[in-house]
Amino acid sequence: MRPYTARILTADSAKAEASQPSRVRVLVADDEAPIRLLCQVNLAVAGIDVLQAEDGEKALDLARSEAPDLVLLDLMMPRLDGWTVAEALARDERTSGIPIVFLTARATAADRRRAEELGALGYVLKPFDPVRLAPLVAEVVGRCERGEADELQKERPADLWPAELADA
Amino acid sequence: MRSSTALGWAAAILAPALVSLADLFSNRPSTQLAGFLLLLAVALAAYLGGFAAGLVATLLATFSLDFFFTPPRHELVPTNSDQTAGVALFFAVAILISQLFERRRDVQYQAQAATARANRLQAVTARLAEALTPQQVLDAIVTEGIEAAEARAGAIGLLSPDGETVVIVAARGYERQVFVGWENFPVAGDTPMAAAIRETRPFFFSTSAERDEAFPSIAGLGGASHALAILPLIVEGRAIGGIAFTFPTEVDFDLERRALKTTLAQQAAQALDRVRLYETERALRQRMTFLADASELLGSSLDYESTLAQLARLAVPNMATWCSVDMLGPDGSIQRLAVAHEDPERVAWAERLSVEYPPDPDAPMGVPNVIRTMTAEFVPEISDEVLVEAAQGDQRLLKIVRELGLRSAITVPLVARGRALGALSLIRDETAPHYTELDLDLASELARRAASAVDNAGLYREAERRGDASRALAHVDDGVVLLDEEGAVVSINPAAARILGVDDSKVVGEGAREALPGWALIEENARPEPGQTRGPVMLPLLVDEAERWVSVSEVEFGDGIVYALRDVTEERLLERARSDFVATASHELRTPLAAVLGAVKTLRRKDVTFEPEQREALMEMIDREAERLSGIVGQLLLAGQLDAGRLPVDLDQFDPVEVTRSVVDSAELHLPTGVELRVLAQEELPPVAGDANQLRQVLANLLDNAIKYSPQGGDIELRLDRNGGFARIEVTDRGLGIPRDEHERIFEKFYRLDPALTRGVNGTGLGLYISKELVERMNGRISVRSEPGRGSTFVVEVPLAD
Repeated sequence: MRPYTARILTADSAKAEASQPSRVRVLVADDEAPIRLLCQVNLAVAGIDVLQAEDGEKALDLARSEAPDLVLLDLMMPRLDGWTVAEALARDERTSGIPIVFLTARATAADRRRAEELGALGYVLKPFDPVRLAPLVAEVVGRCERGEADELQKERPADLWPAELADA
Repeated sequence: MRSSTALGWAAAILAPALVSLADLFSNRPSTQLAGFLLLLAVALAAYLGGFAAGLVATLLATFSLDFFFTPPRHELVPTNSDQTAGVALFFAVAILISQLFERRRDVQYQAQAATARANRLQAVTARLAEALTPQQVLDAIVTEGIEAAEARAGAIGLLSPDGETVVIVAARGYERQVFVGWENFPVAGDTPMAAAIRETRPFFFSTSAERDEAFPSIAGLGGASHALAILPLIVEGRAIGGIAFTFPTEVDFDLERRALKTTLAQQAAQALDRVRLYETERALRQRMTFLADASELLGSSLDYESTLAQLARLAVPNMATWCSVDMLGPDGSIQRLAVAHEDPERVAWAERLSVEYPPDPDAPMGVPNVIRTMTAEFVPEISDEVLVEAAQGDQRLLKIVRELGLRSAITVPLVARGRALGALSLIRDETAPHYTELDLDLASELARRAASAVDNAGLYREAERRGDASRALAHVDDGVVLLDEEGAVVSINPAAARILGVDDSKVVGEGAREALPGWALIEENARPEPGQTRGPVMLPLLVDEAERWVSVSEVEFGDGIVYALRDVTEERLLERARSDFVATASHELRTPLAAVLGAVKTLRRKDVTFEPEQREALMEMIDREAERLSGIVGQLLLAGQLDAGRLPVDLDQFDPVEVTRSVVDSAELHLPTGVELRVLAQEELPPVAGDANQLRQVLANLLDNAIKYSPQGGDIELRLDRNGGFARIEVTDRGLGIPRDEHERIFEKFYRLDPALTRGVNGTGLGLYISKELVERMNGRISVRSEPGRGSTFVVEVPLAD
């Protein structure tokens, strides 16, 4: 493995790099700056571009304008929560094809179930291993590109879905 | 043959003699004139003395005519055949006259006798008309009637109510021993009166021999009786008894005599029937009056013990010689409640006796039996065998009851709603008539009313008790709903009405499913399987368009179902808040943990070399998020300690301004951009009494909240001044604000204004709870003024040291 210098991509810099269609771009929507930073650092290492949004509204705007390959979506965010964002994404035909993986500290069975119903392809529970994030993103984006989004959703692999959670 | 009177005899002798005296005063008396006068004399004698006197007068007059007035005078032998024929003619005429007068006299006599009989009959009728009691009727018949019938003796027998026996109820003129053994005899028997009653026809026997021939079984009975007339007493074609007349001589019962007896018998029968009706009517009226009085008495009071005692007293002496009331105790024992007799001494004696001879619940007869079988006992005629049986071998008791002279008894059960409550006993002694079926009916009716009164009194007491219970239920917070077997609301307490949002006065009597909201759901879920019990179930009800959680348990009892309801909306909200807290706390812990853990894992990557500032950023992240984690854990611990009351309060004196400034100083170290803190402190604020560290914690919490809830930034102001005996610290932000109806609840444990965090505010929901608890431990207070969109001001007041 070669050493890698992480770059922090902002929305502006992401636009600048839009000319390179081969690069995978992930939108990280989370109000917690440390979480965004961790995603940024660890995805960048894998050559994945990261778009950041610190609230739901921004996340929706960016998803619409930038059409990322995947959204890592926190649930509890100011202005619009993750559920609302996911629903809005699914309703909008420009964004309805973007795979969603929730990245959340909400560890209840009801939340997990709701995520399934919303058509999410993963539900990663905090705390999580940020090192494992890049392979996960690669897997999801890859399968979706191959048109296997439905199968992936049905499979619910263990690295994308937590074991059964208890109701609160 | 009637005897002539003395006057008749005198006329018979003197009248012819007087005419003969004419011979002394006249030398040539007229034979014709003398004959005429002598005929007048004969007529006078016959008129006054009857045929015998007339005959004597005729003989004397014939002698006088021949001797004094027919020539040759003073000789008995007439001179010629003409004279002889004249005397003979005279004699014949005189005899004829005598006979004529005799006939006339006879007719007159018969007319007189008829009048006398009519008078006697009238006298009987009059006496009978006056008679008001059976005894008076009987007296009238056996005195006036016997006389009217010209009989020596007479007797009246009446048919018993069962129609089997003839009872001699009155007799007069007989020797006592005649009726010994014949006080009553069967209707079917071979006796004249039985036959007369049976066949409803009269029997007339002119001689004893005639009677003995017809009824050989009683031949020789009745001693010196001769003629006998026995007639049925008939009312409406039915024989109610018979009447017998015994005559001292042989009697030729001609039509007239028979008619008289028949009339007498008819009159007697009618009179007896009339008084019987009258008696019945009077007795009925008496009973009705008694029943009315008794009913009034029973309705007058709820104290049934005294009421029943009064009832017993009301029954004597008209209804009974003795009246007693016995009640069945809850333990199955029989208690004498009251005994009544006209004589108080007898009452006392009876009470002593009942103590001495307490009722045996298993006794085969009497009160215990009546109570046990709930069937009346009716002994119209108390025979000695009954007494012997009742005494059950106790000779002393037998002696006592024999001396009481008990004649007739009725014991009726007091039964209400199929339950025996006791018994009412009526006893008559020899001074009163036997009880009849009518009396039994009356006693039964009386018992029914008395039992119902006792039962009502019991029900009333029960209702009062229930009233007490419902008054008690009115004060409990749990709802209680009572339904009958048909599912109608029997009672509902105010708490239940409040929980269900109904007017308790309007739903009673209504079907629960119709009248009570969500009741169908309650019945479906709260009802246990048959034969099983189940604990309360929690159900959401829609009451006044708001969800209300109710815990319901159902218990069936004899007459219906009782539901206990508890409004658990608050508890459920708390429970929800607690579960929200768990989710929130989990979230709150997971977020900084994710940062710390993520940063560490990232830093330990072997495949990446980070630039120094990136490493530094990750290290700082670890530092800050670990601190945050520690702070959250600290808050959780503190809340736990406050809950358990284990947090020590270190009361001391300190300067509030200094504490406030230190909190502000440390907050300013990591203040978000756009937020400014200002402290406005009054100079010379006296020291406060409290725990400085805890106040610091409170202010830090408030300041932290103010910053968190000001996402757009803005000034945050801390103002310190004095308010009476308190130092007042106000923390004011220009942030999101708090709706008015949340002002109370934000201080509750686990409560979060925004559980879904859509307003971007994290927190455990414990900060304000902890702050309130800490302030109150310092004998201070905390409150909030706020409006949504206009920011909030939290006010903390801590008592001054002096």
